[in-house]
Amino acid sequence: MPIVAAGAAGALQSHTQEPSGMASRGIKPQPRGKPSGLPFHAHFADVASSAGLRAPIIYGPTDRMDYILESMGCGVAFLDYDNDGWLDIFLLSGTRREGPVPGATNRLYRNNRDGTFTDVTEKAGLVRQGWACGVTVGDYNNDGFDDLFITGWPQNALYRNNGDGTFTDVTDTAGLLHPGKRWGSGCTWVDYNRDGYLDLLVSNYLVFDFEKIPAAGSTPNCDFKGVPVNCGPRGLTPERPMLYRNNGNGTFTDVTEQSGIGRVTPRFGLDAVAADLDGDGWQEIYIACDSTPSLVFHNRGDGTFEERGLESGLAVSADGNEQAGMGIAIGDFGLDGRLGALKTHFAEDTAALYRNLGHLAFEEVTQRSGLGVETRYVSWGDGIADFDNDGLPDLFWVTGSTFPEVEKQHPEFPHKTPRVLFRNLGNGRFEELLDAAGPAISEAHCSRGVAFGDFDNDGDVDILIMNMNEPPSLLRNDVSGGGHWLKVKLIGTKSNASAIGAVVTAAYGEKRQAQAVLAACGYLSCGDRRLHFGLGAAATADIEILWPSGIRETLKALPADNLVTIKEGVGILRRERFGK
Amino acid sequence: MIPLATAMLAVALGAGQSQHEKPGGDAHLSRATQLVREQLYEAAAGEYEAALTSRPNDPRIHLQYAVCLLNLGRNEEARKEFEKVRDLAGESRYVTYYLGRIDLLANDYESAIKRLGAVAANPPFPDTAFHLGVAYASFGDDKAAIQWLEQAVKALPRDYRVHYRLARAYSSAGREQDAGREYGLYNLLLSEHKSTEKEARECSDALRTQPATSAREVCYHMFDPNDPEKLTVLGQLLGEGGAYELALDPLQRATHLDAKSFEAWHDLGLTYFRLERYVEARVPLEKAVALRPEFYGSVVLLGGTLYMLGDDEAALPVLEHALRLKPSDTETAALVERLHAAQKKR
Repeated sequence: MPIVAAGAAGALQSHTQEPSGMASRGIKPQPRGKPSGLPFHAHFADVASSAGLRAPIIYGPTDRMDYILESMGCGVAFLDYDNDGWLDIFLLSGTRREGPVPGATNRLYRNNRDGTFTDVTEKAGLVRQGWACGVTVGDYNNDGFDDLFITGWPQNALYRNNGDGTFTDVTDTAGLLHPGKRWGSGCTWVDYNRDGYLDLLVSNYLVFDFEKIPAAGSTPNCDFKGVPVNCGPRGLTPERPMLYRNNGNGTFTDVTEQSGIGRVTPRFGLDAVAADLDGDGWQEIYIACDSTPSLVFHNRGDGTFEERGLESGLAVSADGNEQAGMGIAIGDFGLDGRLGALKTHFAEDTAALYRNLGHLAFEEVTQRSGLGVETRYVSWGDGIADFDNDGLPDLFWVTGSTFPEVEKQHPEFPHKTPRVLFRNLGNGRFEELLDAAGPAISEAHCSRGVAFGDFDNDGDVDILIMNMNEPPSLLRNDVSGGGHWLKVKLIGTKSNASAIGAVVTAAYGEKRQAQAVLAACGYLSCGDRRLHFGLGAAATADIEILWPSGIRETLKALPADNLVTIKEGVGILRRERFGK
Repeated sequence: MIPLATAMLAVALGAGQSQHEKPGGDAHLSRATQLVREQLYEAAAGEYEAALTSRPNDPRIHLQYAVCLLNLGRNEEARKEFEKVRDLAGESRYVTYYLGRIDLLANDYESAIKRLGAVAANPPFPDTAFHLGVAYASFGDDKAAIQWLEQAVKALPRDYRVHYRLARAYSSAGREQDAGREYGLYNLLLSEHKSTEKEARECSDALRTQPATSAREVCYHMFDPNDPEKLTVLGQLLGEGGAYELALDPLQRATHLDAKSFEAWHDLGLTYFRLERYVEARVPLEKAVALRPEFYGSVVLLGGTLYMLGDDEAALPVLEHALRLKPSDTETAALVERLHAAQKKR
C-alpha cells in the first residue's frame, strides 16, 4: 500500500515493487462487518452434469500455464439460436500447444426444455479447434436469427445463422478476415451510428507468437512471488481495438482509424462492452484493459469517438493506479436510473464499482459499498443482476488463478478458487455471501467467462461459467421468498432487430432501475438479451424504453411474473407467464 | 570502518540489534523493526505483541505496532492501538494523522476531515494534505478538496496519484481546463514512474544475478541526467548492491537538479557515510535533516557523522534528538551517555 508506506516512512513511491507482469495494487482486504442476518432467497446448484454439459473446456495444460495465451481462457454465451423461446448454450474452447486435442471444439448445446441440453455442434456447422477467446451474439443481418462472432488467436470468425439450425462461416466474405496473426479478445455488437445495423467492436490483447514470447521466469515480468510463471502482459507488446462498420449488405468496413477508435495508445485490451453510459441515446464503448488504463470511447454521434477514460473516472483506480482490468458488468446497482459499472481485477486488488453521476462521469464507490472486503482472488467474468428477486441488483463474479505453479510454494494463492457473490443491502452497501447462496458458490474452480440468463424459464437468473480444463458450470438458481419479477424482450424494427443498445427503465414500488440490452458481458461472454427485473413485493411495473433509434416508448402497469415481448413502434406482441 | 560507525550505520538502516544481543522485549522489538523493513508485517505483528507482553505501557511499541497493523489492513485493531498510544502519551499529531487515515478508510469522512484538518497546518507527513483533500472529495466538498489537493501537489509534486485526484476534483467542479492540465501531468508522471519502475526492477535483478560489471551496465540504462527521481533510485539501487562509489555520481546529480529532494540528500549522505567520508557526508545529511527533521534515519546518521568528525558539541544535541525519535535505540543512548560524561569531565 504505497500511501501507507509514504506516510509511515516519508519515502518515495516504490519503484522496486510489483515484480510480476500483472498490475496489482497489493491491497489488503477491509475488515468484514457484522453479518446483516437477512435471508437471501437465491440458491444455486451446479446442474451442468445432469444437464448434459459434460465435455471439458480444453484450455492449455492442466498443471501449468507456460504462455499467457494458455492462461486467459474464453467466454460462454446464452442465446436462442432457433427462436423457440428457450436459451441455448454456446461454449468457446481452447486447445493445447502440442497439437489438436480430440473433442476440443467450440460447442453449441440446444435446450431440450426439460433442464437438459443436446450437443448440436456438428449439425450446426460450428466445429472449430483453436484458441477461441470472446463471443458476441446479435442479428447483424436483421433476418430474425442470432448470429455469432467469436474472437481468438490467431483469427476471428463470423458465423451467420441460416435460420434452419445451421451456421455458415462468413468471415472472409464479410471482410472480417484479418491478415497475419492477432489475438482478438473482447468483442461486442454495437450500432454505433444508429443506422439499424449492428457494427462490430473487437478488442485486441497483445502481440502473441509462441516462438517469440520469453520463457517463463526469464525476466522480472515472468515472476510471481518468486515463482517463475508465464510472461506478460507487461513486457509484451500491447494492441489497439478495432471497429468494423456494417455496410448493411453482409459485409463490413474497417473504420478503426476514421472513427477515432484506433487513435489511442496501445493497451492490453480484454473485455469490451457497449452501452449508452451518458444517456444521450448513443452507445459508448468501455474496454477493460489489463495492467494499462482502461478505455472509454465517448460516442460523439457523428460516427466518431473520443477516448475519455481518465476523465470519466473509469480508467484507473481512485488513486490513479493502473489495474488488471478483466471483466466488465453494466447495471443500475444504485437504483438511480443510470447505468453503473463493475470491473474485476487481479488478486490483491478489489473489484471496482462505479456509480454513474451523469454526463459520462463516474465515481468509484468500491470501499464505501463494502466490496473492499474481498481481495483474495484473480477475478474475471462478472455481472450485476437481481438473483433473489428482491428488487435490488446483486453482484457476482468468478475467479481463478493464472499461475497454477504458484500454489505449491504459496498456498495462499490457490489455482482454483470460489465464486464471489455480494448481495445488495439497498443502502448503498453490499454484503459478501460466503455460504448463504448454495454450494455452487463456494465450490472452487479456475473460471473465466460467465453469462447470465434464465435457461429454465422459471423467473430467475441462472449462471453459466467457463472453467479451465473442466466442464462448464451451470448454476441453476432456485429462488424462493416470493419476490416478483418482470422480463422484457425487445425486437427492433427501425433499430437493429436485436435491440442491442436499448435502455429500459423500470419503475416498481418506490424503485427505479435502468438496464441495457447488451451484446457482451461477463468477460468475453454474452448473456440472455431478455432483461430481468426483480420486483420484490411490487405486483406491477411501468417501463420506459429508449430504443437505439432514439424512439421512446412507455408502458404502464405491466403485471409481474411475465415475460413481455415488445416490438419497436408496435407495442406488446405477447405476454408469457412462466415460472413456478 | 571503525566499530562505532558500523553500529551507527546499522542502527540507521534498522538492522542494528540482533536477537542475540538483546534479551526480552528489546529483542522482539528489534526483530519487529527488521521484519517491518522487509515488509513482513504478519511476522512483525507477532514480535510487537511479544514485546508488549513485557512492556505493555510503552507508547512507542504501541505506535509501531499500530502502524504495522495498518499495513496489514487490520484497521480497527490499529485504531485501538493508536488510541492506546494517545491514552499513554497524550495527544500527538502523528496519532491524529493515523486516526484520520483510518477514518478515511472506514468511509467516515467527517471524522477524517476533522482529524486530518487538525494537523494539516503542521503536517506530520508530506501526504497529510493529500488525504485531507481525498476526504473532502469523498464528502462531496469539491471546493475544499481542490484547496487541499492543490496544497498536496506542492508537497508531493512528482506523485502521479496526487495529480490524478486533483484532476478528478477539478472535473467534478466543472473546471475542465484545470483538469486537463492535471490529467496531462498525471499521465506524464505515471509514464515516468512506470519506466523507472521497470528499469529499477531490471537493475535490481541484474545486481542480484549478474557479475558486477554487466549488472552496472544494466543499471546505467536508467541513468537520465535530467531526472532527479530516476537518479536517486539509481543511486539507491547501486548502494544496496554495494557499489557505493558508483552511487555517488547519480545522487550528487539528483541533489543539484532537485535541492528539495529529501531522498537524494539522505542517500547521498548515507553513501558517504558508508564510504567513511564523513566530511563529505555532513552537508547532505544536514540538508536531509533540515528537510525532514523527524526522520530518525537521517538524524542518527548526522549525529554519527558529527561524532566521527570529532565535533562532540554538535553531535550531542543531534543524537539526543535521534534518541527522542527512537528511544529504543540503545546504541545511540549509550553514545549520548558517553558524550554527556565527557562533557562533564571537561
